[in-house]
Amino acid sequence: MKIGLYIHIPFCQQKCLYCDFPSHDKLAHLYKPYVTALCQEISGWGGVLSGNSVDTIYIGGGTPTILSADSLWQILECVHTSFVIDRAAEISVEANPGTINQEKLLALKSGGVNRISFGVQSFSDPLLRSIGRIHSADQAVEAVESAQKAGFGNINIDLMYGLPEQTCENLRTSVMQAIELGVTHISAYGLKVEEGTPFATLDKQGKLLLPEEDVDEAMYVFTTEFLPDNGFRRYEISNFSKVGFECCHNLKYWQFQPYLGVGAAAHSFLQKERFSNISDVSQYIACAVKGKLPVEVRETPEVSVAKAEYIFLALRTVQGLFIQEFKNYFACDFFQEYGEIVAKLARQKLIVVGEKQIYLTTVGMKYGNVVFRAFLPD
Amino acid sequence: MKTKNIRNFSIIAHIDHGKSTLADRLIEYTGTLSSRQMEAQVLDNMDLERERGITIKAQSVRLEYTAKDGETYMLNLIDTPGHVDFTYEVSRSLAACEGALLIVDAAQGIEAQTLANVYLALDNDLEIITVINKIDLPSADPDRVKKEVEDVIGLDTSEAVLTSAKAGIGIEEVLEAIVKKIPPPQGKREEPLCALIFDSHFDAYKGVIAYVRVINGVIKPGMKMKMMATNKIVEVTEVGVFRPSMTNVSELAPGHVGFVAGSIKNVKDVRVGDTITDADRPVAEALSGYRKVTPMVYCGLYPVDSSEYDLLRDALEKLKLNDASLVFEPETSSALGFGFRCGFLGLLHMEVIQERLEREYNITLITTAPSVIYKIFKTDGEVFEIENPSKLPTPQEIEHIEEPYVKAMVIVPNDYVGVVMELSQEKRGEFKDMKYLDTTRVMLTYHLPLSEIIYDYFDRLKSATRGYASLDYELIGYRQSQLVKLDILLNSEAVDALSIIVHRDKAVYRGRILVEKLKGIIPRQMFEIPIQAAIGNKVIARESVRAMRKDVLAKCYGGDISRKRKLLEKQKEGKKRMKQVGSVEVPQEAFMAILKID
Repeated sequence: MKIGLYIHIPFCQQKCLYCDFPSHDKLAHLYKPYVTALCQEISGWGGVLSGNSVDTIYIGGGTPTILSADSLWQILECVHTSFVIDRAAEISVEANPGTINQEKLLALKSGGVNRISFGVQSFSDPLLRSIGRIHSADQAVEAVESAQKAGFGNINIDLMYGLPEQTCENLRTSVMQAIELGVTHISAYGLKVEEGTPFATLDKQGKLLLPEEDVDEAMYVFTTEFLPDNGFRRYEISNFSKVGFECCHNLKYWQFQPYLGVGAAAHSFLQKERFSNISDVSQYIACAVKGKLPVEVRETPEVSVAKAEYIFLALRTVQGLFIQEFKNYFACDFFQEYGEIVAKLARQKLIVVGEKQIYLTTVGMKYGNVVFRAFLPD
Repeated sequence: MKTKNIRNFSIIAHIDHGKSTLADRLIEYTGTLSSRQMEAQVLDNMDLERERGITIKAQSVRLEYTAKDGETYMLNLIDTPGHVDFTYEVSRSLAACEGALLIVDAAQGIEAQTLANVYLALDNDLEIITVINKIDLPSADPDRVKKEVEDVIGLDTSEAVLTSAKAGIGIEEVLEAIVKKIPPPQGKREEPLCALIFDSHFDAYKGVIAYVRVINGVIKPGMKMKMMATNKIVEVTEVGVFRPSMTNVSELAPGHVGFVAGSIKNVKDVRVGDTITDADRPVAEALSGYRKVTPMVYCGLYPVDSSEYDLLRDALEKLKLNDASLVFEPETSSALGFGFRCGFLGLLHMEVIQERLEREYNITLITTAPSVIYKIFKTDGEVFEIENPSKLPTPQEIEHIEEPYVKAMVIVPNDYVGVVMELSQEKRGEFKDMKYLDTTRVMLTYHLPLSEIIYDYFDRLKSATRGYASLDYELIGYRQSQLVKLDILLNSEAVDALSIIVHRDKAVYRGRILVEKLKGIIPRQMFEIPIQAAIGNKVIARESVRAMRKDVLAKCYGGDISRKRKLLEKQKEGKKRMKQVGSVEVPQEAFMAILKID
């Protein structure tokens, strides 16, 4: 079995105002012990999963590049010694443009990393400041260019729309800048104000000047039309790439493939079980360093739920859900089970029923949740 | 115990005047329950009753009291609801008694509903003992209240008992007054059995249990009893009394109040108001029973989940068993599917039934706006009644429409006379009378359309008078009115369950407010939803719910799929209480929106 490996680095120099991911600032003193614990967990899993090979690796965060070149190298080396890794494996690392330098790029390169994903979000300095990013637009450009110089040919840029005071024109400038940089992949995410973030507090106080809904919608539509027009094919609701540069690791999530997540708060999906690690960093370290399994939550969704997950994940991709694959996985007939729902959604022009697959229409992508909810068990 | 030592009584009081508290004190004082067993307001044993602080169901309890004369008496207390909607329950309780305690708040004085219930008791020839309660309040003025009782009701209050049920003052005096003033029952053991069924309930193991008051004869296990209205004969398996929990006894003798069980499986065999007699030695004539109650307010009840239709029918049947005033008939709505048109005594009654269905039977309901019964006179001479606005024929077919009117009595401090008059005028009321009860309190009498009362008259009355006003009303007949049907269209389709009948002069205003209200209630969907109010083909108001621009999770990050799924599940859960009407998802509360217009 081929599995994906996700490695979580839960540290940031500064927390962005919209972020509710498991990541922490002010924990610099834990970097070293964390890396030690992480390597302990990685090598432990290496033994358990020795019969499998890894074909995608994704080091995400947080900000993986906040760690020193040595630490990054240490993690990559540990991965290589612990797992059998396919020669053609995609190995991605997320990077904040404000934390990158030659030394780190070199360490990543020699550690086998072949894809870098830059969290840029915008190429507008006032916007970057207002959402709490630590880097400027120029730094982002420099970071991408230095990565390219260091020999990274597969680079992603994350962009956001629907930011406070963002205009369509402003988004257009950022998207064009990203394209001009010659990257291979662009993710365009709409801002969602999450509970518990500074943005949520501001929003409740009425101090968050979010774009009007029609503007937000226009931005969404812009990304979905402009990027494909410029050679970036949409292959998932929020993801665009040049042909052949789709993110293999992320595709595993949407295609119901197994993956192992290591590090604090990392999520895994192995043998139909979903489990996640202790999210508190200190507790994670204390547990993992002793060679114990740092798993906090385990859940094997019942079949009806697993099916719903399979469906809503698959439908996120442009290709959609392949009927035969669903049948193979669950040993049940898709249409027998979901015929009525499918017919209704097709009538509403939210999905297209093809010969081999079903997939979202352009409108269906926009109202994806309506479709996803329909497949959840009552 | 000898019949001469039995006293059967009930308590009449306005809401909040302390009836349940006094009942609790009587139970406590006589040692029927130890204070450890006492839970505040023992007789209100439905959760709903405790929460709302009202009595819905008549309850009964048997107390044993050794009076100052040295004799031990059996006192049967039959608790009665105080709200105007439950007059029927009151009349049932009163028919099983020889006397009643009239409780009046020493600070507030007589209220409109107290009056109605006292008259009911007087009609039943009950001995009435006036109890002035809450005398410990700083604002208490027992003398004024006594005078009010004498002036308004005409009762002699020279021997009125002064109490504070809360502080435990005057409890013994109340018990002594019951023993001395209320006559013992007159029945004879030797006579053939004759017992009045005043209530009933269904027990999963024992079947239907009838609550009875024995007039003559004796009822005991083993004998065959006959329900006179239904001619059903069954063997008595158990008899017992309420202390206040059900306790078996060997027999119920004349004057006794208790329960009878006899493996009666069909709830329809036991009718409240019917007479039970000895099948082997029956009485010739049944007791007169109760006057039939006529529901005044109707609404549609529909299960949100249409598969719960049977469940809803069973639940309504069970509720009807001890609430004879509830009527229901199957009906269908093109918007809501299969449901029932239910008749109630009033709005509170309707709300109580609704809540009991949701709580006790776990059925998620859609309730349509309440309606009264209209009389339709067609141009072709046909006359019929409708209790569902969507059944109104087209204007061309209608010669005229009549609606029910009530005589409404409002008792209010004189400072508020102006606002009450204004409100009543606005509600198409016709002033009839104004009477000073004392120097500060006034009784106003109006003739009002019942539809206005069930719409928002009572709520508005309460808020305009800061809760000081009390209201009672009785049906006085039908009158011709200029009425029209107001239809609501969602996405250009008329929704039958949202139609209402309104006075022509108010149609535009009500239509406008209603569409605004619905705009706030109907969640945004993938497309714009026009909401229109129309009379016939004429649209009189329009709003629209803007389309939701997009609805999609932008990011599925780091493989945390469960979290995204839970978010979707939560959204889906929120949609469960919505009904798909055409292409529009309509939340439950939209169908009641019509009631909550300010």
